[in-house]
Amino acid sequence: MEPRVRHFVRNSEKAFADRQLQVALSRTTAKFLENRAAAVAEFPRFEGARESASRIRQEALDNLDAHLARFITEARKRGAVVHAARDGPEAREIAARIAKEEGVSLAVKSKSMIAEEVGLNGALEADGVEVVETDLGEYIIQLAGEPPSHIIAPAIHKTREDVSRLFEEKLGEPYTEEIPALTRIARRRLRDKFFSAQMGISGANFLCADTGSVVLVTNEGNGRMVATLPRVHMVIAGIDKVIPRLADLPVLLSLLPRSATGQALSSYVSVLTGTKRAGDAEGPERLHIILLDNGRTGILQGKYREILKCIRCGACINVCPVFQSVGGHAYGWVYPGPVGSVLAPLILGLPESSPLPNASTLCGACGEVCPVKIPIPGMLVELRGDEREQGLKTPAEVLGMKAYASVMSRAGILEAFQRVAGVVSALLFKERKIERLPFAFSGWTERRDFPAPAPQPFRKLWKRQRGIRPWTR
Amino acid sequence: MRQTAELLDRVRAALRGRTVAEPGLPYVAPREPGAPGSAQGRIDLFRRKFEALGGTFLAGPAAESVIPALGELLRAEGVTALFFPEEDPASRSLADALVPFGPFLLVSPADIRQAEPPVSAGIQSAEFAIAESGTIVQTSRGGTSLWPGLASDVHVCLLSPDRFLDGMEDCLEALSGDPPRSISLITGPSRTADIELTLTMGVHGPRRVIAVLPSS
Ligand code: SF4
Repeated sequence: MEPRVRHFVRNSEKAFADRQLQVALSRTTAKFLENRAAAVAEFPRFEGARESASRIRQEALDNLDAHLARFITEARKRGAVVHAARDGPEAREIAARIAKEEGVSLAVKSKSMIAEEVGLNGALEADGVEVVETDLGEYIIQLAGEPPSHIIAPAIHKTREDVSRLFEEKLGEPYTEEIPALTRIARRRLRDKFFSAQMGISGANFLCADTGSVVLVTNEGNGRMVATLPRVHMVIAGIDKVIPRLADLPVLLSLLPRSATGQALSSYVSVLTGTKRAGDAEGPERLHIILLDNGRTGILQGKYREILKCIRCGACINVCPVFQSVGGHAYGWVYPGPVGSVLAPLILGLPESSPLPNASTLCGACGEVCPVKIPIPGMLVELRGDEREQGLKTPAEVLGMKAYASVMSRAGILEAFQRVAGVVSALLFKERKIERLPFAFSGWTERRDFPAPAPQPFRKLWKRQRGIRPWTR
Repeated sequence: MRQTAELLDRVRAALRGRTVAEPGLPYVAPREPGAPGSAQGRIDLFRRKFEALGGTFLAGPAAESVIPALGELLRAEGVTALFFPEEDPASRSLADALVPFGPFLLVSPADIRQAEPPVSAGIQSAEFAIAESGTIVQTSRGGTSLWPGLASDVHVCLLSPDRFLDGMEDCLEALSGDPPRSISLITGPSRTADIELTLTMGVHGPRRVIAVLPSS
């Protein structure tokens, strides 16, 4: 997926104007939040599990060299071929080489955000390999030729009517607004692909260092089919997916589905260890695991290491008021919402992604829901600071903030300002609102009014009521 | 080889000067107070959780109650074909016993491997049942095929009373060391909510899961 993060503001304006999208978003985001809240309420151990999960993930990262080395050794011991890719182009090259060497012309794929991150499908298709998405949501957007808009529900921006028209147009199926009927169409269409594909492609939810196992969590059952039916299985995963032990899974799995979809457990959890063994009834003869760096070792080194704890549950995305209003496409990259606003600057670079750390109201909701306790709001503030340090803020902005800070920290000056503003405001803005702000602030009043300064500042009212100055109690 | 060595070098360099280096112990969340403890308690909890997920739980004397009831359920689902893993004699005898309650045809997994297969029930013995979450565990141990739970319309899981465990921890502990190639934790039917977050059953896998616990 070609990043278009820089266009966040323009994309958001388009998203606001898109009636269909607004309908789809309002139908879905509330449901996500309700489901999660109910699942958490029914699970009294939630807070304790969060603490444990956070420590497991932190331990995995603090000793990633040892755990990653162990994973590689154990996976190889059980027949896997392990590859390492420094960045997207290298990952694409490795994947294309595997497909060629294994004689693949058709591949079935289960949903993988990391594959989106590196643009895997495009690379394989350029080499003449047909890649079929098998997750229902991914299948829908593949037919529509669009990128996913949410890491858990990639077609969240589409209504049932959209999907039906798409199936009618691309597959020649009769129009129906029945969701089960649409699901049956996909099942029938994809079955044949599962049986004839030579290769299955998946991501990984976790990689267990002590056993070399790949863990896949799905609800539809496509992940297991992708990993079981074709002769070759190719896994692509970020190096941050490693967890120390298979025994760490229960705690992580007690949080991931609850945070993602509000289920106590997803329908299918597959723990896959190595290739088909002697006497096995099925399973891939060849297993390729591509471990992707793509900026992650850089993140590991710096002050944002904790963002790599992320288990991609999507809870921070659903709860974010900005996401709720603009949807996932506006962010212009694979990972939308708060997690994406931290990851994009770190992976794509801050100059490329500078609108994103500011695409947050800093309400703190993302930090509150995160099952592995990543301090996302703090990271967004930190990134804004980095922006200033790297000279990415305009001099006017920097100067403005400095002036603001110096006024706010001096009570006397602030009071003088407020008096003047109050008098001016009472004279000029009878309606108590400002319809157009000057200069750099004009963007604010393009679509809404700005409240005019109150004729009597709060401090004065307080003083009159209590006979004291608020700052000298 | 060279690429993975380089990757490990980069990770090592990134962690230079780290403070935490001690590998810890597995973090296991404490048990819910009032966890079952007894064998019957585990079965009861499993049943409650499994049914809450939309599963059907059949227990009782095989010939008199479980098999006739299962036959009726499968007929109501429109099932016409039954299949089971070659290596699983218990599921074979269950399939045989079901035939008189049909019309059911015993087919091979290969017959299901087609674009428009008959409506089928895949029958299989479960390795474990996890009480806490109503989860059925199937593994490739002993060469057992996972096919019946993968591509059938209705999945029938044959349980035995000594295979019920409290939590996922116990299951992974029993399978760790040298885990089988595939461990499948199945919790409810195949489902999706990808269109408007509306829950729909039976996308790629079974739309219905039935757990069977016959007593002799
Ligand atoms: S940052 Fe936390 S809440 Fe957001 S997707 Fe990652 S794990 Fe989930």
